[in-house]
Amino acid sequence: MLLRKLSCSIIFTCYLLLFTINSMAALPDMLNGQRMPSLAPLVDRASPAVVNIAISGNFSTQTTFTPFADPDNEAQIYSQPFVGIGSGVIIDNQNGYIITNFHVIENATEIKITLKSGLEFTAQVIGHDKHSDLALLQIKTDKALTQIEFANSDDIRVGDFVLAIGNPFGLGQTVTSGIISALGRSGLNLGNLENFIQTDAAINEGNSGGALIDLKGQLVGINSAIFGSDNGNIGIGFAIPANMVKNIAQQLRQYGQVRRGILGIKGQELTPELADAFALDSPHGAFIKQVTPYSAAEKAGLKAGDVIISIGGSTIKTFAELRAKIGSLRAGTRVELGVIQNGKAVILVATLQLSQLNKTKAHLLHPFLAGAILADADENTGVKVTSVAKDSLAQHYGLQQGDLIIGINRRRINNLSELAQMIKTAPEILVLNIQRDKRGLYLILN
Amino acid sequence: MNFKTSFLYFFKPIFWGLIIALFIIYGSKLGVNLTHLSGDDNVSSYSIAVKKASPAVVNIYSQQYIDSSIDNKQHLQPTGLGSGIIIDSKGYVLTNFHVISSADQILIALQDGRFFTASVVGSDIVTDLAVLKISGANLPVIPQNTNYQPQVGDIVLAIGNPYNLGQTVTQGIISATGRNGMSSSGRQDFLQTDAAINEGNSGGALINSRGELVGINTSEFYSNNQNSSSGISFAIPYQLSQRIMKSLIMHGRVIRGSLGIIAENLDPLIARLWGLKAQNSIVITKVHKGGPAALAGVKENDILLKIDAIGFDTLIAAMDKVAEIKPGTKANLTLLRKGKKIEVEVEIGELSNIQTMPEN
Repeated sequence: MLLRKLSCSIIFTCYLLLFTINSMAALPDMLNGQRMPSLAPLVDRASPAVVNIAISGNFSTQTTFTPFADPDNEAQIYSQPFVGIGSGVIIDNQNGYIITNFHVIENATEIKITLKSGLEFTAQVIGHDKHSDLALLQIKTDKALTQIEFANSDDIRVGDFVLAIGNPFGLGQTVTSGIISALGRSGLNLGNLENFIQTDAAINEGNSGGALIDLKGQLVGINSAIFGSDNGNIGIGFAIPANMVKNIAQQLRQYGQVRRGILGIKGQELTPELADAFALDSPHGAFIKQVTPYSAAEKAGLKAGDVIISIGGSTIKTFAELRAKIGSLRAGTRVELGVIQNGKAVILVATLQLSQLNKTKAHLLHPFLAGAILADADENTGVKVTSVAKDSLAQHYGLQQGDLIIGINRRRINNLSELAQMIKTAPEILVLNIQRDKRGLYLILN
Repeated sequence: MNFKTSFLYFFKPIFWGLIIALFIIYGSKLGVNLTHLSGDDNVSSYSIAVKKASPAVVNIYSQQYIDSSIDNKQHLQPTGLGSGIIIDSKGYVLTNFHVISSADQILIALQDGRFFTASVVGSDIVTDLAVLKISGANLPVIPQNTNYQPQVGDIVLAIGNPYNLGQTVTQGIISATGRNGMSSSGRQDFLQTDAAINEGNSGGALINSRGELVGINTSEFYSNNQNSSSGISFAIPYQLSQRIMKSLIMHGRVIRGSLGIIAENLDPLIARLWGLKAQNSIVITKVHKGGPAALAGVKENDILLKIDAIGFDTLIAAMDKVAEIKPGTKANLTLLRKGKKIEVEVEIGELSNIQTMPEN
């Protein structure tokens, strides 16, 4: 009786086991009872938010000096049609906002967006920021879009798994895997604000503007650049951190531009020697060499010799990191700074100020320019004539409000201080190279 | 048999069967979960391994005196870039020989910002390894596990300073495994990985997912293609480098035994004729004049069967065995000459460091 019971139970056990093992074998993500690693589920979730971008445009070049050319002759602007590819990430599905790199859409006259589903749209540029190499686009559609979620990029660590999603070489959407190789990379001279995430996930031409995501499928960064050769990826790629992207995108969305806040300090990286000299425990942080008078930094109580070690609670390791983080915040933002001052850790609160563009009355530069008010144009593109007084000498010579001075005496200038420098060395006769309504002309002042 | 007993008759075994089956199914699942918790396979991040190992990986800058065209004096100028690994707290640093081969001065930068001038303890051209020494307090040391056997498919991380960008961690798997023998041979016998290794990574660490040293990365400094990372990179196995390092610290060089012969595997046809296996029979094709084998009377076309009465599996294994015999000691060779087995006693010589061709 007992034997029969036992044999019956064994048979039943075997039957059940067989049944379940069969069902386990049917699951594709299990092997020998262990989960097979596949990133497919999270790729499924995140990839519809990554779009392909195709642009076409005209790259216009202008002859800088043609002595006998008629200023009204448009033939001196040469334009070259071109096409380009890139990637973008949908960050707001309600409004169709897409973030990408500025360099992807630079000089574009038409931007075509292709979703993973194959749908095509024409996008408008909402705003761009050259310094962070980001641009915000918008597509208008009734169709349901998928947006990406943002990760907190201050929480990521070297060694974390990441995936790059983009459109390398225009092949179509491609997913590559790797890890975070390093954080806070700067000094690559790719842009002004550098606080890159480095990864060994393969990033190539066309991946620019695409997503770097973590294993939750959340956006960690926007892939922007690679180090190396023309041959493509060598395992060294760079992405703009998601937190910086978030801040810039918000400003672009709200104002169409970035009104960058400044703290008003000059500084440098903290070296072990400096850390020794100031008796600091750790050689990490941003060292302040100088505080600008009346600046946000001075008002907050920062002093030369202080070391900034955190901003908004997240650690600052290098000056470049501080610069990039401040640079992605809007003027008027209140920031909490962790500071080592006189050997003590203190928290100071600063309200970032608008970075003041240089403005000057032109007669201070040269008497011929009397009556005009000049200012630095955006992004170091020249000097803008903001106003010209009636019956003034400047007006007599033909200067008009809205003119952009881009050169003087055959030399290119980028800002007011360069203009002032050039005028000092050539006082006799001024030949101004001016852009007016997208046309170049020369004004001779003597 | 009433209803109750017949119910129990069927129900009891079914019930116990179910319990046992559930236990077996979920018990095994529980086991799987436990191995995941042990941290060996932290799938979402290798940051723990990186934190353990990365402080011990240093940047190496070699400087050279170069004639100045301005004042006819020699000036120290940076000429080389590489990485190194702090192997113990006394300050021994393992790196590639080619990283420091032409250096007049070697500077070592730790990740915490400290700078040291290093001295060369010893170097070995054959394996492209060198041991340097720095003196400092509280030096970070790389985790090591002599029991770890690298296997194809193991996940590895390469840590180094490619192009002087700053410390970089890249990830891949072991694509092929190497051998741990000390005899001279080509690089193809080293560990192979698909983790991105570039100029400046040379001498850096290849670690496993627990942060333990697996190998010393070696990027071909003088390769035709400047951007060499294409999914095929090499590393010197840790176990081999550990032995090389011990020898370098003790003697300043690697001492390898030598017989003074060139040998190859026996032709399979001839092997069968002799009733031997081609794989573990070696035919001596050349005997160096005045070498240890020549002095002992070894002749060309002798077939080597055993060294000190022990056979070997491959030619490489035999080479490794000879390399590990201390020069000056005597070894018994079992030879087959003209169909007869003979025993010969040889005094092992030392392999000069310059020979890089496979010979013994």
